[in-house]
Amino acid sequence: MTVFGPLGPSLAPYLRSFKGFRSALKTHADWYANLAGYRRMGLKYDDLLVEERPDVERAISRLTPRQIYDRTYRFKRASQQSILHKDLPKEEWLPAAEDVRYLKPHVEEVVKEDAERAVWDNIAVSRK
Amino acid sequence: MLAARTSAARNASRLLQRNFASVVDTAGVKVAAVDNGEPTSAVTFLVKAGSRYENKPGVAHALQNFAFKSTAKRSAIGTVREAELYGGVLSSSLSREHLALTAAFLRGDESFFVDVLSSFVTEAKFTRHELNEYVAPVCEAESTSAASNPATRALELAHGLAFRNGLGSPVLSTAHNPVTAELVEQYASSVFSKNNIAVLGTGISQEALSKLVEKSLGKLAASAAVSSTPSSYFGGETRVENYEGPQTVFIGFGATGAPTAELAVLAAHLNPQPSVKWSKGLSPISADVPVTASVQTVLLPYSDATLFGFLVQGETAADVKTAAAAAVSALKAAGSIKAEELKKAVAKAKFAAASSIEGRVGFATTLGAKVLAGAPSNLDGTLSSLDKVDTSAFSNASAALLKAKPTYVALGDVQQLPHADEVGL
Repeated sequence: MTVFGPLGPSLAPYLRSFKGFRSALKTHADWYANLAGYRRMGLKYDDLLVEERPDVERAISRLTPRQIYDRTYRFKRASQQSILHKDLPKEEWLPAAEDVRYLKPHVEEVVKEDAERAVWDNIAVSRK
Repeated sequence: MLAARTSAARNASRLLQRNFASVVDTAGVKVAAVDNGEPTSAVTFLVKAGSRYENKPGVAHALQNFAFKSTAKRSAIGTVREAELYGGVLSSSLSREHLALTAAFLRGDESFFVDVLSSFVTEAKFTRHELNEYVAPVCEAESTSAASNPATRALELAHGLAFRNGLGSPVLSTAHNPVTAELVEQYASSVFSKNNIAVLGTGISQEALSKLVEKSLGKLAASAAVSSTPSSYFGGETRVENYEGPQTVFIGFGATGAPTAELAVLAAHLNPQPSVKWSKGLSPISADVPVTASVQTVLLPYSDATLFGFLVQGETAADVKTAAAAAVSALKAAGSIKAEELKKAVAKAKFAAASSIEGRVGFATTLGAKVLAGAPSNLDGTLSSLDKVDTSAFSNASAALLKAKPTYVALGDVQQLPHADEVGL
């Protein structure tokens, strides 16, 4: 269980539940996401998930072949830009509409499965 | 006197029932159960979903291995662990015509296990990751191990030659025809309908099973029964290189239409398997088969066709040739059978038919197929039709078999193994 980072606990769902506050939060979040700079390297937010973990590895293996291909392409392009110490040209930045959480649902599914397995492994059985 | 009478009555009630008492239409699903007081119960959902009905090769096999994976109600691990806590056994099996989903469990646990079976039928998820992580590896292992068995492989090839489509399509999937989760889901939604399923219980009362089925399968769609073109017999010859296992030849003869009693008697007459250990048996074949070769009669009855044949295996191709020639000449001579030999063959065939429903699996699949087809769910009809076989009907049936083009499969050293004309066909 990670404490910090994209897989850790988040206040966002709670904050989103306040209706009036939501638009202000959205503006701030968009500003922050652009400032973080990963979109300038052509990456999606879910590309930043720490993948050296068994659950995320299993989630990645559940992507479609097309998703895996695209993900690898984005990584290659970003590391090339990193070598050049340059952002991508502006027209190649990742548009906000394409920055979707393509991996998170799979990770959540895997975490849920692991939690269920732990429950079954430690269950105390009583006869009715 | 009274004591004798009561004990006779008790004995009568102890007589095991070897058929389903009745078939009840519960919410559109055929439900049949028999309770002989066994210590455990078993419930089988027999579905017309064998490889015969599949629209893409391998889909039926994938559906079989998807059984007991995650459903809307419980996950795959939840199903397995909970079944283990109850001490039950879940299994699925596939034939050319039927998919059988079976749960065997202790008496009293039926509500859980019927729920497991019906939740797979009604609300399975068919996720892509389960196909890749659990189902596809099992399918691949099963088809690889089947392919390494020459007898299984010869029979698969023979079905393809004999019936081409429908019954001819292979039971197991191959790596060359990848199956997707969407295809499996599509196939499942077409075959899992009310008029395609028979629920068979042993060791459980009819009322209890009907009540559970009504509750769990009541919302299942009642779409049209799956259709397949009626089987027709073609026949042909094929020779396939094979480097492991014995040299194998399959000589098959097909007949269309409902399986006849004559063919069952013919198979019993020619079957070289001895009834007593260490003897050669009295079959007309057994005397001429070399020690290093073996001949088995194969009788595969389906709903609208039958494949009858000899599976000949031996260490060398020369042995196989001698044994196959002996089998073919015995079949040709079978037309002039003597009355007392026929009597013996009929008795053997009746025993084979009766003992096939002895076990729980044979009982559910043999009688279950009858339940699904709407035929009377007992063996009386089969046994009485075996009794009615006479010499003229028998010789007509064997002559009709020989008239059609035989199915000939040679598997092994194709340079040495005999051709069809070399064994007398």
